[in-house]
Amino acid sequence: MKARTLANLSQYPFPSRRLARIAGWSGMFVLTLMLVFAFFPGAIAPYDATKSVALPLQKPGKGNILGTNDLGQDLFSELIAGTRASLLTGVIVSFMAVFIGTLVGLTSGYLGGWVDSLLMRVTDLILVLPFLPLVILISVYLGPSQRNIIIVLSIFFWAGPARLIRAQVLSTRSDTYIEAARALGANPLQIMVGHLWSSVRPLAFVQIVLVASASILAESSLSFLGLGDPSGKSWGTMLFFARASGAFISDAWKWWVLPTGLMITLTVLSLGLIGYSIEQRMVRSA
Amino acid sequence: MKHFSRRAFEFFLTFFLAISINFFLPRLVPGDPIKLIAGDAAPQLGKERIAALRAQYGLDKPLSEQYMIYLKQLAHGDLGMSYRYSGGKTVVEVLIENFRWTLLLVGVSLVLALFLGSALGIWSATRHGDSIDFGLLSGVYILRAIPPFWLAMLLIPIFAIQYHYLPAGDSYSIPRLEGWENVKDVVRHALMPILVLILAYLPTAYVIMRAAMFGILESNYIRTARAKGLPNRWVVLKHGLRNALLPVITSFMVDFGQLLGGVTVIEAVFNYRGIGNMMFEAIKSRDYPLLQGGFLLFTITILVLNILTEMMYPLLDPRLRRTV
Repeated sequence: MKARTLANLSQYPFPSRRLARIAGWSGMFVLTLMLVFAFFPGAIAPYDATKSVALPLQKPGKGNILGTNDLGQDLFSELIAGTRASLLTGVIVSFMAVFIGTLVGLTSGYLGGWVDSLLMRVTDLILVLPFLPLVILISVYLGPSQRNIIIVLSIFFWAGPARLIRAQVLSTRSDTYIEAARALGANPLQIMVGHLWSSVRPLAFVQIVLVASASILAESSLSFLGLGDPSGKSWGTMLFFARASGAFISDAWKWWVLPTGLMITLTVLSLGLIGYSIEQRMVRSA
Repeated sequence: MKHFSRRAFEFFLTFFLAISINFFLPRLVPGDPIKLIAGDAAPQLGKERIAALRAQYGLDKPLSEQYMIYLKQLAHGDLGMSYRYSGGKTVVEVLIENFRWTLLLVGVSLVLALFLGSALGIWSATRHGDSIDFGLLSGVYILRAIPPFWLAMLLIPIFAIQYHYLPAGDSYSIPRLEGWENVKDVVRHALMPILVLILAYLPTAYVIMRAAMFGILESNYIRTARAKGLPNRWVVLKHGLRNALLPVITSFMVDFGQLLGGVTVIEAVFNYRGIGNMMFEAIKSRDYPLLQGGFLLFTITILVLNILTEMMYPLLDPRLRRTV
């Protein structure tokens, strides 16, 4: 019964165990590379991405592998520097969202009754509201900054994990060991923290990875719309300025737009692959 | 009937929440709402002028009274004035002007993506574990990771600038063409945004259909149909698909709330005259009433789509016809 619930949660079953392993490890490889970029940008990037080092809007040449942007900053260095903002957003949003989601899912699933109805009503409302327009609206009121993007995304991304974790709790709450704990006089808090948490932990872990991947994608959209920190370096902001200076009407899309989006895609994909392959292992071991 | 009234209550609740967000958001944000209205000009305004503005927007009244006034205005279809147009346009006017373009994009790509994604999902499910399933799945993995707006930014230089196959942006040529030529022109302008939107919606439809068909194809009645010697295509499409449709459309609509807003970024890239691009322009000019109107309209669209889906249920599943 348990295996069935988990299998239903996996929307992306891999055809074979070997492929799942390969996918997971290639995801890990790309992610490690991105982490190196994020922690030691100076070791890879030839220039400080915030300084003008050449004429603006230069084609790729000797000094600048990918040319320069509208301010004369080295595009390759900017690309490396942008890694940090994306990964940081992904990490913070996913931890906050999954933390809230787990709290809501555990409480809702275990306590049931009116608490469950109320929490699930709120979750459904968040899921049904048009995500991007509402996030845009809130971000505009809060003002453009990386911090505000992180806050706004965390407010919305907990709903999905909350639903999944509640479903998992519902399927384990009547297991014998939970009944035993209850018979021994454990209070709801002890059961939720001590027993149910360990049964939803793998699921929460997968959700952290998947929410990180989704929030990096969402962050790039918001920054692209001009809601990111205009002076900070992030991939979405780079694309925002690429559009503003007409990069895709000229040849500049090849060295400005193409590599930037590729970095976003690779990061999001690597996290996705890691998440799905862990999920796959969980399903098989359950 | 009980089910119907409960759903109606839920839809009403969502709508009520959306309009309340619109009311409370500007009042919850730190800082004076007058600063939001007057923008950078706020410090230069004299005390009397600010008091006059406060009175004009009703900000001098208690919050509960403001809320009642707001609801009353809303009931009259009054969403306020847009800041952006100096001639003075109401938000409702601007929304009506832009909405049909968004409806065109979303409507066409929603139907096509559901159709195409489901077809690929069924194909994948019937070939579970072989190279076709793996190929399609990998394709969808990658597609899910690609930011759709980036895809749009790559299509424009290739199809519009380099080869001049399609126009680079906007929803029609200026000056507008007449009659049949105009229709062709609008289609040509909509082609690239629709393609990008299909690619953005398709993975969700594919994934849901694939998972649903997996479960169904393993069930006993499918085995029976096979054992009767029915051709495989008939078994899958007539017996399998019939039962998959309802859960698939239900799950897709749940996810669509998250997907719909994505049209905002796509329209912004293509300068397409829809609600999304309108919101993008409104971000730049801090046109709060317009942004609120856009959000409300997107919410209403999702609710209407949900209601339409629920009305389709009895058509999809005969078991639901008896209870209605």
